[in-house]
Amino acid sequence: MKTIKRIFGLNIMALGCVFFLACETDVTDDIDLASSPPKLVIQGGLERNLTSPLVQQEILLTVTNDFLSEEPNPAVTNAQVSITDGTTVWQMNHQGSGVYSNTELSPQIGTTYTMIIEWEGETYQGSDTLNEVPRFDRFFTEFEEGTIFSPEGYFLKFDTTDPANVENYYYYRAFRNGEFVIVPDPGNAQILIASDEFNDGQQIIGADINGEVPFQVGELATGQQLGISEEYFDYLFQLFTQTGNTGINFGGNPPPATIRSNLINLDTPGRRAVGFFYTADVEEATITITE
Amino acid sequence: MKKTVFCILMCIAHSVWSQNEYTISGYVKEFSSGEALFGVNVLIDNTMGTTTNEYGFYSISLSGGPHTIVVSYLGFQTITEPITLEGDRRINFDLREESNALDEVVVTSSSKSNDVRSVEMSVATLKTGVIKKLPPAIGEVDVLKSIQLLPGVSSVSEGSSGFNVRGGSSDQNLVLLDDATIFNASHLLGFFSVFNADAVKDVKLYKGGIPATFGGRLSSVLDIKQKEGNLKKFGGELGIGLISSRALIEGPIAKGDSDEGKGSYLLAGRRSYIDLFAPLLDDLEDTQLYFYDINLKVNYNLNENNRLFLSGYFGQDKFAVENIFGNTYGNSSATLRWTSVLSDKLFLQTSGIFSDYNYEVDVLTSGTEFQWESSIVNYNFKPRLSWFISSGNTLKTGVDFTYYEFNPGEISPLNNSNTTPQDFQEKFALETAPYVDFEQKISEKLSLQYGLRLSFFQRIGEESVPVYENGEPLTYNPTLDLFEENTILSETQFGSGDVIESFTNLEPRASARFLWNETTSVKASYNRNYQYLHLISNSASATPLDIWAPSGPFLRPQFSDQYALGYFKTFKDNTFDFSLEAYYKDLRDVTDFVDGADLLFEEDVETQVVQGDGRAYGLEFQLNKNSGKLTGWLSYTLSRTERQILGINNNEYYPANNDQTHEVSLVGIYQLNDRWEFGANFVYGSGRPVTFPTGKFEQEGLIVADFDNRNGNRLPAFHRLDLSATLNPKKGGNGTWIFSIANAYNRQNAATIFFRERTQEINDVDIPLGTTEASKFSFLGIVPSVTYQFKF
Repeated sequence: MKTIKRIFGLNIMALGCVFFLACETDVTDDIDLASSPPKLVIQGGLERNLTSPLVQQEILLTVTNDFLSEEPNPAVTNAQVSITDGTTVWQMNHQGSGVYSNTELSPQIGTTYTMIIEWEGETYQGSDTLNEVPRFDRFFTEFEEGTIFSPEGYFLKFDTTDPANVENYYYYRAFRNGEFVIVPDPGNAQILIASDEFNDGQQIIGADINGEVPFQVGELATGQQLGISEEYFDYLFQLFTQTGNTGINFGGNPPPATIRSNLINLDTPGRRAVGFFYTADVEEATITITE
Repeated sequence: MKKTVFCILMCIAHSVWSQNEYTISGYVKEFSSGEALFGVNVLIDNTMGTTTNEYGFYSISLSGGPHTIVVSYLGFQTITEPITLEGDRRINFDLREESNALDEVVVTSSSKSNDVRSVEMSVATLKTGVIKKLPPAIGEVDVLKSIQLLPGVSSVSEGSSGFNVRGGSSDQNLVLLDDATIFNASHLLGFFSVFNADAVKDVKLYKGGIPATFGGRLSSVLDIKQKEGNLKKFGGELGIGLISSRALIEGPIAKGDSDEGKGSYLLAGRRSYIDLFAPLLDDLEDTQLYFYDINLKVNYNLNENNRLFLSGYFGQDKFAVENIFGNTYGNSSATLRWTSVLSDKLFLQTSGIFSDYNYEVDVLTSGTEFQWESSIVNYNFKPRLSWFISSGNTLKTGVDFTYYEFNPGEISPLNNSNTTPQDFQEKFALETAPYVDFEQKISEKLSLQYGLRLSFFQRIGEESVPVYENGEPLTYNPTLDLFEENTILSETQFGSGDVIESFTNLEPRASARFLWNETTSVKASYNRNYQYLHLISNSASATPLDIWAPSGPFLRPQFSDQYALGYFKTFKDNTFDFSLEAYYKDLRDVTDFVDGADLLFEEDVETQVVQGDGRAYGLEFQLNKNSGKLTGWLSYTLSRTERQILGINNNEYYPANNDQTHEVSLVGIYQLNDRWEFGANFVYGSGRPVTFPTGKFEQEGLIVADFDNRNGNRLPAFHRLDLSATLNPKKGGNGTWIFSIANAYNRQNAATIFFRERTQEINDVDIPLGTTEASKFSFLGIVPSVTYQFKF
């Protein structure tokens, strides 16, 4: 089912763009957008990675700025950030440019972590629970010829076995020569995340890490399978739906809305933060592309 | 309850009954084809009158003695006939079309002289004759695009045949083709409608004051009647256009030596061929893209009083890319109707209807080929009795039975792929709606039409219904401002035919007309409508992948109350008429989506839908010029449509997707001489509401937009001009040329504006650049086209 959904999502989205021989005009300079007061943005979360263990856990804090602004989002450098599992409290120290980190914290499976951010006299708080991810049974590449819907090249593939009788949610990341690659593609919401709703306990064979990212011979290709929470899955679904909605879609255009964060402002609930504080268990493998 | 209603009706009937009256009744037909004429005025002694029903039948009761009957219909020669009445009489009339001579040409946008006198309000009738004279939008005359030129009716998006009536969403229109419900009225993703103008006789749109004889949708009824076919002689028509070609044949059945056949038939077909141009574009080389449709109508006079009609429609769209994807969708419907004149005052019609909308998607990516099928089938049985009690007093009563089968989806593997077959549960429902509708003349000045519809909707098994924690599929969490899905605790199994949930609702309807003087009237109406089916589509535009969900344990029926007030005036001997209408509509339990809804392959759609309220109000103004060399109309609509739904826009009212403040249509048809005719229409509309981002942030390597208010911004205003010229054949010739230019000054109207991250294509991959842009999409530039029509 997952595969069906992936492929279907991909195709119908792409079709909309092919059919309408529509005219597209850049109107960036003609549009005046209203701006709203800056909101706190959280990027990042806790990751447990047994393949390449992290030296430190880090997150990035910024504030929103105008959508058409050419400037990067301003960093938040004056926040107090801590993470707790209910017994221990870890301080996340500001390292510059809005990056806050801690070297002591080693995330544990099944634990719920709560992040507390104090900024401009208000306290934001949000939690997520770390779920275990299954290993890759096989990690390999396959060459695929280009079609009008997908590029040509070597694609990262894997087999994995979903643990039976537990709800699992997955997120897939691809890295080229160590650098994270993502494409704002309409199919991301169907392709980069998955649930085991229709294949609990089954082995998944020959799935793509990211079917939109081809690799060339000689490149170092890394794929990650992340075990995530249902809340983060829902968040990513909305995130990818929105960022992929870049043209007229045959499959519909859902009305845009703020993607709700899991951070709550305890002092002024109406003044919300954006972004998501996640916890994820990471399975990772790397391969050098050969002919 | 039923007893009381019956009793009241009998009292009314009694009060309007007078003694020593005789009844004249009969059919009014078009002379050359024998086609029944609907809405013809039958006027007696210039004081009382009636109009023919949709089968061309009229009945009127008079005192004995001498009378003058005047039978008139715009565009036709008036018949004046003196009679002396000594008993009930059956008189049929054949009306001749007015000749095409210059000063006599009459084009009408509706049965106009009727507007002032009739109790109906918020109703527009368009004859195919008029529709065909309007400039075609994309090289093809289109019934649905023509009605979008009327006040209070707007298009879902440019070039789309989807329409909104008085703030209603497009699924709130009841679209009937010879009484059969059409679930998806669009071809080619909405650019064309499924109605072949050649086969359509007339189109009647009820925007308000919907009589009790119709039900099931909130906002409008679009009643489309197919032509019956020529009773007198065989004929045909061929049309060749750039986008599609069409053919039609019609003729009498069992004519023998008589003047008219005992029956007639009509068969029409269309096929588009845009895909022939596809190979010209590299990207579309392996693409198939076409639609076709077939209309059939047969009618047969069993005897003077009994007629049988069979009408059918079959249409299909195909869109496929070789080895990758295929999509087929279409409607089919069949109606068998029997009309019977039981007595001079009683007219019975009974219809049995089958209608089916289905779509199929083939995904042909190697290894995981599969087919997805979905359908809605419904069977209707609709008996209706009309009782022409006396002049100005008519009672209609009947029952509509509908049985629905919803097949939300079935997945089967293709080409031996390893896809697991899946079958979503079918859903079944039964709708029973008895009604009475009464038109009553209180005095010369005051006439009323009122009625009651009782709708009874049952969801029936076989179905297994989930039991949710908290009893509901979704719970709103005010802290996080989002809906959370509740866990399914267990499932309740309902056997075949078991009632899962039932709804009973009363739908009162009423209209009143006060005739100020011969040329002026004031009208008011109220109607309540219930709708038990919900279109679950996350798109404002028409997509073939519509999911219709019936009301049930987790989805309440939606309903509306509409109040309308109107002023109607004709002047210069009916050359001009003017109408002004105001309406207010309250909508309850309309559906919208929770933010981030995932509808694709969703079995439990109720978990993705929230229900809330809406309101719509507006003013509609229309000035028609009905006769002369230049005919046409000017219409203006000022309106507002809003929604309020928990979890959207901080729970405050927001403009609905189809809200349009100003809308102006100017339509003109100019008859230069015998041969040349010109048409033009100009449309202006305020921009539709859209939600523009108010901020940006980064997440997982992508730039994400942040939003404040739902639909807080507007697209730029929309305007366009379409032109056409028709070259009619010389006397004795039979070929017609139609030249047209749609969007004559090539206005790039914004269909939508997208905000997104800029990307750069590197090795076939769109790499995000970290900067943002706004991009406007327009569907159609200038579209010239030419069509050749040939009659034989």
